[in-house]
Amino acid sequence: MITADASPRARTHPHLVPLWRGLVVYRVVALVAAVVNIVRFDDEWARPVLGIVVVAAMAVWTAISSRRYLRSGDPATAVADLLLTALATASTLLVDTPDRLAAGGPVITTVWSAGPVLALAIAFGWRGGLSGALVTLAVLFGVRRALDADLLFDAQLLLVAGLAVGLAADTMRRSVEQLRAAAAREAATAERERLARDIHDGVLQVLALVRRRGDELARHGVDAPAVELARLAGEQEVALRRLITSAPVPASDGTVDLSSRLAGLLPTHASLAVPAHAVPLPATVVDELAAVLREAVTNAAEHAPDAGLWVLVEADDDAVTVSVRDDGPGIPDGRLEQAAAEGHLGVAGSMRGRVRDLGGTLSLHTGPGEGTEWEIVVPRKEA
Amino acid sequence: MVRVMVVDDHPIWREGVARDLTERDIEIVATAPDGAAAVRIARAVRPDVVLMDLQLPELSGAEATAAIREALPDTRVLVLSASTEHGHVLEAVRAGASGYLVKSAGMEELVDAIDRTARGQAVFSPGLAGLVLGEYRRLESEGPDEPRLTPRETEVLRLVAKGLTARAIATRLTLSHRTVENHVQNSLRKLQLTNRVELTRYAIERGLDADE
Repeated sequence: MITADASPRARTHPHLVPLWRGLVVYRVVALVAAVVNIVRFDDEWARPVLGIVVVAAMAVWTAISSRRYLRSGDPATAVADLLLTALATASTLLVDTPDRLAAGGPVITTVWSAGPVLALAIAFGWRGGLSGALVTLAVLFGVRRALDADLLFDAQLLLVAGLAVGLAADTMRRSVEQLRAAAAREAATAERERLARDIHDGVLQVLALVRRRGDELARHGVDAPAVELARLAGEQEVALRRLITSAPVPASDGTVDLSSRLAGLLPTHASLAVPAHAVPLPATVVDELAAVLREAVTNAAEHAPDAGLWVLVEADDDAVTVSVRDDGPGIPDGRLEQAAAEGHLGVAGSMRGRVRDLGGTLSLHTGPGEGTEWEIVVPRKEA
Repeated sequence: MVRVMVVDDHPIWREGVARDLTERDIEIVATAPDGAAAVRIARAVRPDVVLMDLQLPELSGAEATAAIREALPDTRVLVLSASTEHGHVLEAVRAGASGYLVKSAGMEELVDAIDRTARGQAVFSPGLAGLVLGEYRRLESEGPDEPRLTPRETEVLRLVAKGLTARAIATRLTLSHRTVENHVQNSLRKLQLTNRVELTRYAIERGLDADE
């Protein structure tokens, strides 16, 4: 029932320590109440010696469990606590007579029996608190055999305490997780900015210079390998520049900047024209647009491997437009229709399907010798 | 011969570009390592073209551009930057730079861009066209008083951003080459008019007024 949810996460929440401390204080105070209950009224119990033994055992368990709660907030201890406490409460049947119990006499564990309810609430949240309260009530009912005002009063207190403390623990856990995620995001952004600055000041400058030198060598008729190396350096400059500007960290509202995402997809020789401001879109929309662009880029690489490739991103309040153009040989008239007639879905069909799912439109401008130009327009629902 | 000043805080780069350009019969009249020095030296040597980096110490490339354009209206500024910050590029263009080239551009491209800048033309890469288009879209949603592009200007800028040359654009839109250049030029000029005054005031406040 409860053990299924016994996750190690409870251990990893040091901020729950104040709650555990509160619980330990409560248990000690409640233990004093139990001791007073058995010592002060020892003549009224049927077997006072057995009662003292039970209370002594409760004291030992309080010491053991308190240590464990304070050290690690161990959920297994909370479950053991529930079982042992139930046993102690049930032992009232041996210590006292059924008549006295039915007449409203106290159980030997008194308010100490609420301890595991609180422990389960802290360890497992409101579900733990509720389960603990129900089990404890069932045991109390089993001992007293009377559905009287006392039991209803106990029920109210146990349920309220279990749920309230459980919800508090849940909230603390959640808010700390959010804080941690926000801190991690901030650290990642700061680190990337620092790296970007360093790369910008050093590596990028040198790579660009190497590329420039290569151009000069080529101009003076120097051999090809050095020129080739310089060209590669130039490509890496572009790749690195894209890498440090792309922002893989999604915003806290679940949107992703379209421009940064697309920058990561393009081959280094491609040109990407974007607005200076970010273009935030829901992550799912960005994923689909990225997939469409990837298809267009792959298609261009297949049919026009040596052609230039240009991508333009435009955004206003109503729509986002992504244009992809290559200056390759173009798609001959009728080729797409022919492919469709032969039953090939083809790149156009697949792209069109994705764009349609986003509620947008895809248009194609092409012809022999004119290159290929896709234009994807997707409406911008209020994000 | 075109007289050029190179502004860059990276010494290897600064000297490398200066040397390469000298080999190509371009006169390097000065170099400067930061924005404030750039403004001071430019006033003294009056170059035709300033090759301006963006992320500079003392005064940013955009601020230095505004101050230079204010003091020397005949001096043109060409931004040459590895800057990955789109915002910085836009800022420099609004401050009066007449073009933008990334540092990875080839030497031929750079020499050509310097020539065109010296002749008063705009040097428009596809990336810059995208930034300018984006800026007008943003201004559009700000209010009716902001500058707008005409439909024709928008059409031309979009084709520039998609990598068409001025000649190809002229053919596609059945315009003259000259008209295409004018549309590009105007789209820049309208952005600069709204911004120049602000930036100049800022530069003056920081102690770079013309009487210094």
